[in-house]
Amino acid sequence: MAVEIKRQSPISFPGNPLKTELRGHWTVMQEYEAKGDAPRVIDLSHRIRWDLQDSDIARHRPGGVSIPDTPGRCVFENGVLINRMNRTQASIWHLSGEDLSIPDDPAFTDVTDATVFLALLGKEIFSITEKLTTLDFFDPLKEAPFLLQGPFSHVPCQMVILGNTPEKSAILFTCSRGYAQDMIAAVLEAGAEFELHPAGENAFSDWVNK
Amino acid sequence: MKRLEKLSTLRINPAKTLHFKYKNKNLKGLSGDTVATALYASGIRIFGRSLKYHRPRGLYSLDGESSNTCMQVNGIPNVCAETTLLADGMEVKAQNVAGSPETDLKGFMDKLDWAMPAGFYYRTLHKPARIWPIALKQVRKAAGLGKISAEFQMPGKYDEIYPKADVCVIGGGPAGMSAALAAAENGLRVILLETRPWLGGFFDYRTAQNGAGLSLSQSVRQAAEQLEQNSNVRIFTQTPVVGVYNNNLVTAFQKGCETDYFDERYLEIRATSVVVATGCSERPLLFENNERPGVMQIGCAHRLAQTYGLLPGKQAVFSIGHDLGLEAALDLFDLGLEVLCVADIREDGQDPALIEGLQQRNIPFLRGWVATRAHGNKTLHKVTLATIPGTLRKDFSCDLLVASAGMTPLTGPLSLAQAKLAFEPYTGFFIPRQLPAKIQVAGRLLGLNHPATIEASGRLAGTLAAGDCGVSVESRLKEAREKLNQLPGPDQGSKLVTAPVQGRKTFICFDEDTTVKNVKQALAKGFDATELIKRFTAAGTGPGQGGIPGHNLPLFVAQYHGDIKATAMPTTVRAPLVPTYIATYAGSNHDMCKRTPVHDSQKAAGGVIRRIGVWKRARYFSKDFSCRAEIENVRKNVGLLDASTLGKFRLWGPDALNALQRVYASDMSRITNGKVKYSAMCNDDACIIDDGVVVKRAENDYYFTTSTARAGATVEWIRYHTRYDGWNFHMVNLTDAFGVINMAGPNARKVLAKVTDADVSDDAFPYAAYREFMIKDTIPVRSMRLGFVGELSFELHVPSSYMQALWDLLTEAGKEFGIRHFGLEAQNVLRMEKAHLIIGSESEQRTTLHDVGLGFLWSRDKSEEKTVGAVALRQTENQEARLKLVGFKMEDPSRVPKDGSIIVDNRIRGYVCIARHSFALQEPVGLALVDAPLAGEGTRLQIYEDECNGQHLYATVVPTPFYDPEGKRIRM
Repeated sequence: MAVEIKRQSPISFPGNPLKTELRGHWTVMQEYEAKGDAPRVIDLSHRIRWDLQDSDIARHRPGGVSIPDTPGRCVFENGVLINRMNRTQASIWHLSGEDLSIPDDPAFTDVTDATVFLALLGKEIFSITEKLTTLDFFDPLKEAPFLLQGPFSHVPCQMVILGNTPEKSAILFTCSRGYAQDMIAAVLEAGAEFELHPAGENAFSDWVNK
Repeated sequence: MKRLEKLSTLRINPAKTLHFKYKNKNLKGLSGDTVATALYASGIRIFGRSLKYHRPRGLYSLDGESSNTCMQVNGIPNVCAETTLLADGMEVKAQNVAGSPETDLKGFMDKLDWAMPAGFYYRTLHKPARIWPIALKQVRKAAGLGKISAEFQMPGKYDEIYPKADVCVIGGGPAGMSAALAAAENGLRVILLETRPWLGGFFDYRTAQNGAGLSLSQSVRQAAEQLEQNSNVRIFTQTPVVGVYNNNLVTAFQKGCETDYFDERYLEIRATSVVVATGCSERPLLFENNERPGVMQIGCAHRLAQTYGLLPGKQAVFSIGHDLGLEAALDLFDLGLEVLCVADIREDGQDPALIEGLQQRNIPFLRGWVATRAHGNKTLHKVTLATIPGTLRKDFSCDLLVASAGMTPLTGPLSLAQAKLAFEPYTGFFIPRQLPAKIQVAGRLLGLNHPATIEASGRLAGTLAAGDCGVSVESRLKEAREKLNQLPGPDQGSKLVTAPVQGRKTFICFDEDTTVKNVKQALAKGFDATELIKRFTAAGTGPGQGGIPGHNLPLFVAQYHGDIKATAMPTTVRAPLVPTYIATYAGSNHDMCKRTPVHDSQKAAGGVIRRIGVWKRARYFSKDFSCRAEIENVRKNVGLLDASTLGKFRLWGPDALNALQRVYASDMSRITNGKVKYSAMCNDDACIIDDGVVVKRAENDYYFTTSTARAGATVEWIRYHTRYDGWNFHMVNLTDAFGVINMAGPNARKVLAKVTDADVSDDAFPYAAYREFMIKDTIPVRSMRLGFVGELSFELHVPSSYMQALWDLLTEAGKEFGIRHFGLEAQNVLRMEKAHLIIGSESEQRTTLHDVGLGFLWSRDKSEEKTVGAVALRQTENQEARLKLVGFKMEDPSRVPKDGSIIVDNRIRGYVCIARHSFALQEPVGLALVDAPLAGEGTRLQIYEDECNGQHLYATVVPTPFYDPEGKRIRM
């Protein structure tokens, strides 16, 4: 029996997607059944993520984008989201468009497979997240997009708040890949009262395009 | 009971009837009722029996200050009926009754109070000693309210949230609402917590005018609507606060209603500033039989009528110490209650308008009089009033006595926040004299009583809280202070602590049946401090959390000492302020653990999964837990082990080698390209904490593994031990980025060769080598020739998303070579046969590198100060009296000692780390840590096993490895 070589996301949502796409060796879930305005959770684990560490981090411009100056700040340009983590480190997430190839520089490490990568969209997502974390998504001193690093459902996570207004609420987060199944179970359970449901990558692309 | 109708203050919905069961009867209540008010409406007056004396207990307050109305609801014991909203279909039962609440077979206990003086169980029943075990059982049987079985499963859904706030206001009364509004007007995020199902506090049920043409009830409901529309304010009703901690962490729980997703929800709020506006409860009046059903507090009687439409009785006497009592008497009279007399313990200070109201209604009013005894066997029939000195007495036949000594501030949150409380003689309150940073107070708990003053104090507190949050509030603060200063200040509080009675049946604590006489007994025994008396008499230690005795006990004790001002000290308050279900604290309890990329397929293949640390791992692949088939297959054919949980790291940068040299015992400069270097890390005491392999992938670029257990701590460990060096290096934790397959067995190479074009022959890829190649031209792998299980092995590190594909490819390719999975237990036996150790199994926190025979890893050529643990490694190298790791074989080949069994002679000399039957050797073997003198080859070890009944096992120390000592098989 021939074994088909596939790359696997660490999570699988309940129910079947309406539309999928084979990309590289990933099967990307593009669409699920729409459920009105209810909040959505999207698996973006196939999206390329890099870790960048350098004592002179400002010299890098991945995808032509400058690294934000201040830890906790993020910049989203050209489909690339760059999150400044600390003095020497940033995470780089490719959210849309073609995946870039990793720069030939030892400062970069491909960490795509190290984490599960999820998006939460919809105006009630902060009611969901406050069930799982003490992190403050509405800190008036922070302007979206911004990065929070801390526990989410007891697991260390990187969370980027792309929008925290009712009209445009979105969070992206990553945590260790091994926690993926329990993390998604916790998120879906916390979101059940708000009818949180899986959505495909297209829903995220639409959000980004809007 | 017929309900009062058309009152503007009602909180019940007469159109919605709810059905519930009590004593096998179907009863009815209304939407908005609590369990207690629904029972009261159904004519129930005795809700249960008291803890010790089995005295009848009834409705006394409506906010759960005592255990009087603790009942079993839907199988859950100790539910406070006063604060639990009625729901359709509830089943309610009385607690602590032998028979029924009305006819309790243990009611005779009330006559035996003489046999149970304060602290009797400390002082009696101990001599002769043989009595105590019998007495203990009886005391324990009698103690506690409610019953629960060990199998009881808590019904319901429990949730939690962790909201953030700039200002958290505790108390949704007029002061709290004003504070919340003032803070919100400054653009701050405000959370308002209220225990009752609605905002309004003690204004909510009052028809008295606010001076602006509205009743207090109308004005506060308008304010509540305004607040609800303010998007900066989150309001949580039915949410009692249970704790206040450092840095303004406020904990509370919210009771869900029918439309809520949860039954109870735990809240953990981190706020910049906290406003405490919890108001007051009533200070119980102390007189004989002061807890007889039919005696209730002012607010209870008043709210029964105005909030729930229930006239609390037919003929009533009031014995009060606050104007609220006079107001309630007038109001209830107007609603149809026959008020026979109002006795006020105050000689003066009453609002003249209220006195005039009594006169207009021809209600007799007695100044300086107080209730001294409630009469009636089970419920109230008669009341005796007396002058304060007890010189004159009058009796009144009645079914309701509204009794209260005055007000008592609810300072629980302030006490938990470490505010300093002191007795304030004018109000008679324990009032905060020194507030912690960013805690504000407002409202009645400061002794304020005038409605406008209460609201103004709330506004001031809200503005101060905004200032705490960094908002510029100078002008608003000035304005708020000026307004407050123009209004009336605190009212004088009543001073009476107890009526002129002996106190044999005067209950200072209802929950624990503690009487005034008991307190006197404790004082006579020399317990002069309130805290000691609390413990000796148990007053205030019941479910009411000190709600009834909290104020009276310290006042009574201080009065006994003759100087209230100097000696009155409140007792310590602890969280939870309100009894809380353990289920609420547990919340949804997500058990977060990690799974490897091939978790599901291992499970599908019959893997028995166990939680090991943070990971779930396949321990066995059959029900034969000796794993014989798995083990023998690795020895004869080839097996696949999922080793993805190993810690995996990239470390690079100009000072990467320095960092490795610092934490590893070996000389890491000797790592050569294409080779694997095994080494270990020690702590400063030379104790082994980790081992693993390191490879060099490029100049100053290393990839290394750690044990599973250490993976989470490795980055911090290296950072910590290089923190002063200023070295330029970086690390990435790749533990989850790579899955790891350990393919081991004589056929391993044949399987690997089928899926890759790379040369994997022993010449091209020898033992201890490292290679990177592609599988099927698609999957990149990092591969190491290792021999942990003692056979030809390839450790394949593969991007986690490809792990399942590689696992499937190898499984498919290995079919013809007899491939099968093996789990952790099989690996455990296989590596034990090779005497390869697992940190934590064959080591403990005092085990050095030398102790386990790995001293050869330590490089003495490195400067000692450069390697963590080097100094201690030198010191312990030849240290005597250490435990040493040895291999042993059993004398009786049919017996394998349990892991952890101890090695003994006339004392404990060590323990068995692991012992298993070796199928390769056909006998049991094991590894043990033993005292150095026992480590010599041929030494006989005596093993004491759990439950061995004195039958020791015997073993002999033998050389290791047990299997393939020349290591030929790993070099195949």
